[in-house]
Amino acid sequence: MTIIEKIFSRGAGKDVKPGDYIWANLSLVVMRDFGGPNVVQEYREHFDEHPVFDKRRVAVTFDLHIPPRNEVVARNQRMLREFATQQEITLFDVNTGVGQHVLLENGFVKPWDIIVGTDSHMNLLGAMGAAGFGMGTTDIAGAMYKGKLWFHVPETMKIVVRGKIGNSVTAKDVILYILKHVTTSGGLNRAIEFCGETVERMNLAERITLTSMVTEMSGDIGFIEPDEGVMAFINSRARNRVEPIKADTDALYTKVYEFSVDNLRPQIACPHSPDNVKDVDEVAGTKVDQVFIGSCTNGRFEDLKIAAEILDGNKVKDGVRLIIVPATMEVARQALEAGFYEIFLASGAVVTNPGCALCTTGHPGIMAPGEVMVSTSNRNFVGKLGKGAEVYLVSPSTAAATALTGEITSPDTEL
Amino acid sequence: MKKNDNFPRRSASSSASISVSGRTWKFGDDVDTDQIYPGKYLPLTDKEEMARHAMEGAEGGDDFIEKVQTGDILVAGKNFGCGSSREHAAVAIKGSGISVVIARSFARIFHRNAVNTGLPILVLEQAEEIQPGDALEVDVERGIVRNKTQNKVYHAKPVSLLEMDIMKAGGLLAYLKDTDKHG
Repeated sequence: MTIIEKIFSRGAGKDVKPGDYIWANLSLVVMRDFGGPNVVQEYREHFDEHPVFDKRRVAVTFDLHIPPRNEVVARNQRMLREFATQQEITLFDVNTGVGQHVLLENGFVKPWDIIVGTDSHMNLLGAMGAAGFGMGTTDIAGAMYKGKLWFHVPETMKIVVRGKIGNSVTAKDVILYILKHVTTSGGLNRAIEFCGETVERMNLAERITLTSMVTEMSGDIGFIEPDEGVMAFINSRARNRVEPIKADTDALYTKVYEFSVDNLRPQIACPHSPDNVKDVDEVAGTKVDQVFIGSCTNGRFEDLKIAAEILDGNKVKDGVRLIIVPATMEVARQALEAGFYEIFLASGAVVTNPGCALCTTGHPGIMAPGEVMVSTSNRNFVGKLGKGAEVYLVSPSTAAATALTGEITSPDTEL
Repeated sequence: MKKNDNFPRRSASSSASISVSGRTWKFGDDVDTDQIYPGKYLPLTDKEEMARHAMEGAEGGDDFIEKVQTGDILVAGKNFGCGSSREHAAVAIKGSGISVVIARSFARIFHRNAVNTGLPILVLEQAEEIQPGDALEVDVERGIVRNKTQNKVYHAKPVSLLEMDIMKAGGLLAYLKDTDKHG
């Protein structure tokens, strides 16, 4: 069996195969400050004050509009706080950060888990061997009530990555390169398993960068078998017993992609699709107004470290805004201790509180028509960060190098 | 605007199949959720109010809501309901009186939302052959589509039993409450 087949078999209490429709028990149900208020309304409408299925297995995370930017958001957040208090469920408030990252730092995520939430990038939890799924309001309301949901068991495709990546090339460049070939529809109704020596060498932050962008391939979920390093991280935080997970050697895959990344150059997804990917060299020199380093894809300590090394002792180009946002408060504290804040502030960057930040309109950092942003996030659809704005997706190293020159710049360029 | 009571609820004793008939409303490929339910109406929460904007942004959808009859059938091409995950799209179509949506394929989240909100859907390879205004008779459970205007019969991909149970109950939350009562 593949990893998803194993997880769904355990969740359903019987052996399952691709194509089956099943009911599976859930390990964790999550709602956030956006979407969460609709879930609470629907829950109350149907189930009134009925207790949730298991108060230890339902959580609320605030990561989008934090602190609140207007009265509607403030009222919504208050509604969620009241619901959490009444139901005695865990709430991570405005001082915590990106939901999935806060959950995995706090021992809520482990291999074999089935986790659903109101966030389209829940599937990044596949980097921990957990099956995470983004879902709609009705699903999450039902999940909170019953602790189980229906699933279609997907086929699994395998993506094998071999070779040693160069110094200025990162996990983000690898996943952008993969997206270029798999395309934004290539993962539809499929689970993905990433493997191969390049992936095996990656740390948890890099693995999260890969699995987070399975969403952009329309995939259900992307897994990487947790190695010793990832298991040590999980074990140090887990609330319950932790069991490793791996696919059977005779598991069946519907399709296998093989990539060699020995000579891979830094990659960039150009407007307006995550699979419109080129070598950074091809668009080098394009003028940029704003640079964003952060998000659920590239907001961990290791990502900020890459940026800090390039920014150290240098100044952001006049007229360019560099905005840096740690994924979580834990990451922010690590960055503070490592001296990154000093480097960032001295370079002229704006560093904001941990959260999702520049992911969509309605957040601080939105662009004016015609402006160009280089971002370490995961989506660059039309209008996603302001009407008429153009967004390029890159690694933290390309983003930092670009902030220093004010034009799209490969990180291995002599600055 | 007609109230949507065209959908047979599951009674305790019967396992009646869902059979519907109506005239065809035809749309194209890749009709996204912004066309089905424009983003500017996202703040609406009243289901009847939401239904008044069904298909408003789609090509050929301008007079949809004035002319649609309870029981009418919506037919589309591939990837129906792609784009943002808003559940409003399925809720608005159901509220408009449409009895079943037939398409060559559905986007994953729309598919899920349709089942969860009790809107019957069918995947039909030959959806394109059906013309606007054709009179259809559809057995959702068996996946049989009778085109009475063209005198043709199609066999759609059958809906899974699990999904059928949820749709028959009127949606996921009603189904979960039902299973509480009936075990």
